Amino acid sequence: MEIAANITLSALAQQFLVGLSRTTILFIVSSGLSLVLGVLRIPNVAHGSLYMLGAFLCYSISLFFGGGSTGFWMALVLAPLCVALISLAVERGLFCHLYDREHLMLLLFTFSFMLLFKDLVKLVWGSDYRSLSAPEILQGSFSVLGMPFPRYNLFLLVLGPLVALGLWFLTNKTKIGKIARAAAVDREMVAAVGINVSWVFAAVFVIGCFLAGLGGALVAPTQNITQGMDHTLIMETFLIVIIGGLGNIWGALLGALIFGLTDSMGVLIWPQFAIVFPYVAVVIVLMFRPKGLLKATW
Amino acid sequence: MLRVQGVEKTFDRFVAVNEANLEVEKGQVVAVIGPNGAGKSTLFKLITGHHKPDKGKIVFKGEDITGLPPYKICSKGISLSFQIVNVFPRLTVFENVQAAALSHQRRTFNLFSAASKFAVKETEDILDSMGLSRAADRISGSLSHGEQKVLEIAIALGNNPELLILDEPTAGMSPEETFATIGLINRLTSEMGLTILFCEHDMELVFSIADRIMVMHQGVSIIQATPEEIRNNKQVQDAYLGGAE
Amino acid sequence: MPSRPMNWKSVVIGLGIVVLLLVAPLFLSRFYIYFLALILVTGLLATSLNIVLGFGGMYQFHHSVFYGVGAYSVALMITKTSLPAFVGFMVAPIVSALLAVVMGLICVRLSKLYFGMLQLSLGSLVWALVFRWYSFTGGDDGIHGIPLPSIISSINTSYYFTLIVTGICLALMYAVTNSPFGRIFQAIRDNPERSESIGVNVKLHQLVGQCIAGFFAGIAGVLFVTVEGSVFPDLMFWTLSLEILIMCLLGGWFTFLGPMLGAAIMVSLRTVVGVYTEYWTMVLAIILMLLIYFLPEGVLGYFLEKIKAHGSGVLREER
Repeated sequence: MEIAANITLSALAQQFLVGLSRTTILFIVSSGLSLVLGVLRIPNVAHGSLYMLGAFLCYSISLFFGGGSTGFWMALVLAPLCVALISLAVERGLFCHLYDREHLMLLLFTFSFMLLFKDLVKLVWGSDYRSLSAPEILQGSFSVLGMPFPRYNLFLLVLGPLVALGLWFLTNKTKIGKIARAAAVDREMVAAVGINVSWVFAAVFVIGCFLAGLGGALVAPTQNITQGMDHTLIMETFLIVIIGGLGNIWGALLGALIFGLTDSMGVLIWPQFAIVFPYVAVVIVLMFRPKGLLKATW
Repeated sequence: MLRVQGVEKTFDRFVAVNEANLEVEKGQVVAVIGPNGAGKSTLFKLITGHHKPDKGKIVFKGEDITGLPPYKICSKGISLSFQIVNVFPRLTVFENVQAAALSHQRRTFNLFSAASKFAVKETEDILDSMGLSRAADRISGSLSHGEQKVLEIAIALGNNPELLILDEPTAGMSPEETFATIGLINRLTSEMGLTILFCEHDMELVFSIADRIMVMHQGVSIIQATPEEIRNNKQVQDAYLGGAE
Repeated sequence: MPSRPMNWKSVVIGLGIVVLLLVAPLFLSRFYIYFLALILVTGLLATSLNIVLGFGGMYQFHHSVFYGVGAYSVALMITKTSLPAFVGFMVAPIVSALLAVVMGLICVRLSKLYFGMLQLSLGSLVWALVFRWYSFTGGDDGIHGIPLPSIISSINTSYYFTLIVTGICLALMYAVTNSPFGRIFQAIRDNPERSESIGVNVKLHQLVGQCIAGFFAGIAGVLFVTVEGSVFPDLMFWTLSLEILIMCLLGGWFTFLGPMLGAAIMVSLRTVVGVYTEYWTMVLAIILMLLIYFLPEGVLGYFLEKIKAHGSGVLREER
């Protein structure tokens, strides 16, 4: 094992930025999960599959529009929308009948969706991996303290806070957000004042799934698009949501930061066991703050 | 036998119990009365350890039990029968009571012998005295509300307590069930020498079976005295009896 | 309820299954014997999970970590030390049980979903270590070709070994679930708060439950090594944990033999449907959805309830 003694400032800065871009993806996906978990109380294991679906759709849509820049931008908009549409159908068709079941049942129900999506993806795209290149404007890199830093990652760093702000606006400033937050605390009460909770829930579910799709589309140019790319991610996002505080958007951001940074910094400290660091961080957080760092909505 | 001294409990700035004092002698039937929200249930849960008091002292048989976890307090001989039905819904009636009896006999870590061999007589006796023998093999979740309330008391008896605390034992019972329960309480004290602490809204019932009555109002214990004295107490009439009628 | 005596019909069916399992190697091919052994191992694992899940009401989200640790312990002891293999067989379940106690000490303070999540993160930590520690565990490749004692090295003898050990373990677990401990454990599942007030130290019982479940999962891990002769990190990946959760649900998580049945269904599905199409998980997914929709008590649970004439609505509605 090589415990790196040669951690330079530039390497540190670079890893920090890499960690931040990873954080962006993690945050976008886990904020969606957090919404669904916090408001609807569905531990949606299939959330990761939607992320994978978003990535594959991004690839195909981009090809459909002839690839290149246009293709990518179209795909970035359309792929999450397609995912949202699929989730709307699923919610209206199946989940809305199951809200009063036990968490465990809902978990297993979404797990069966995860299995379903897994095979659907295999059916449509086959078992090979795909790759997609970023549009020209985001290709290449610039230097940070003498180390190269990809432009695409900068794009992610800009987008992440925008999504966070958008979500904050949605949950705090819009009517639907306020209803959803109220419903998360006491759904009978909200239903009693004559609001159709069912459609609010559908909207929240769709927004949550949209974010999963968006995360998938955004990650597409940075890594191979493969089957099983959802496996570790869904686990990570679940832990992020838990350490951040269930249903709390800022908690998801904080959790994603912890996860992303411990991961990227771990690479500097002990590359072989870098993946262990985030889990250690989660365990430490949960030992001292079992209900998460920020206030959970339920 | 039980002494509660100056106990206080605050939830989120809401003072549920404030300066509560209570004295229960062995063999007595003591009632706590007071309007809704007077802190009776909270006081009971403070005694049984479900809540931790912020201030004050609870002494049982000369031993300080303040702030102990519920299972320890239970093992010292205090049993609580809950106001809201709080049974084991998937177990049978027999198993519900047997669970308490097994716990009382300290057999809960017995891993390899059949549970059906232990505490059978004790359980059957309790079911008999509570009139639940017929329902012994039914799943308790399928019982009527009144039956579940009876079972609730039966579970509390399964621990063979010295002090039995009943939180509104007859709430939700039919008149016949209420009548039977009163008979039961009388029998428990006279035959088994059980000490009982209970709270109840039915004043007739309270005055007919209690040896002493403690009146609570807005979390404060106003007075503790015999039913006669309570009936004639001006302060109580103002605070509670007057307002209730 | 599992504790109620079975009627003579089910005794006959049970005996029939046991006899069939005993004589199976006489007329089944190697492949099917291997397949049966796999069902037994997986079933044992699912049953051990169900002790804490169905009987204890704990959200055991990462049970397979104890299975994997059991398997890895025996594999490492055989390949890295000169101890006799059977010593490894004895020690591995104890290692699993110890891990279960350590993880339990950290987790049982929490309940339900939070318990499950903390367990999931701790389990993943163990998985990540095994996955990356190439020099010790073989990393993501695992360890293959583990030499087994000659007495259980043929497929038939390892099958009988698995059958006997599984039988003993099931008997022991059945005894546990029907012991006073098991009774109290079910009481805790139904109502932890009430259990505290009848004098039960809930957390301590849950810890003991974890230890027992971990121990038997470790035995399942040992059996996996005797059947398969290899170990790999997927044995403790979270998807396997969810799969065995599904087996419990599928078979009926409030029955004792339900998880065994669920394991048989899942393993058969994978094997049988897998022959016709590579999309067997899709078939499984659809079956699962239908099941959750229509049989929330599981297959065995559903039939047991049918048999009990006075089956109560409460059993299904209570949550």
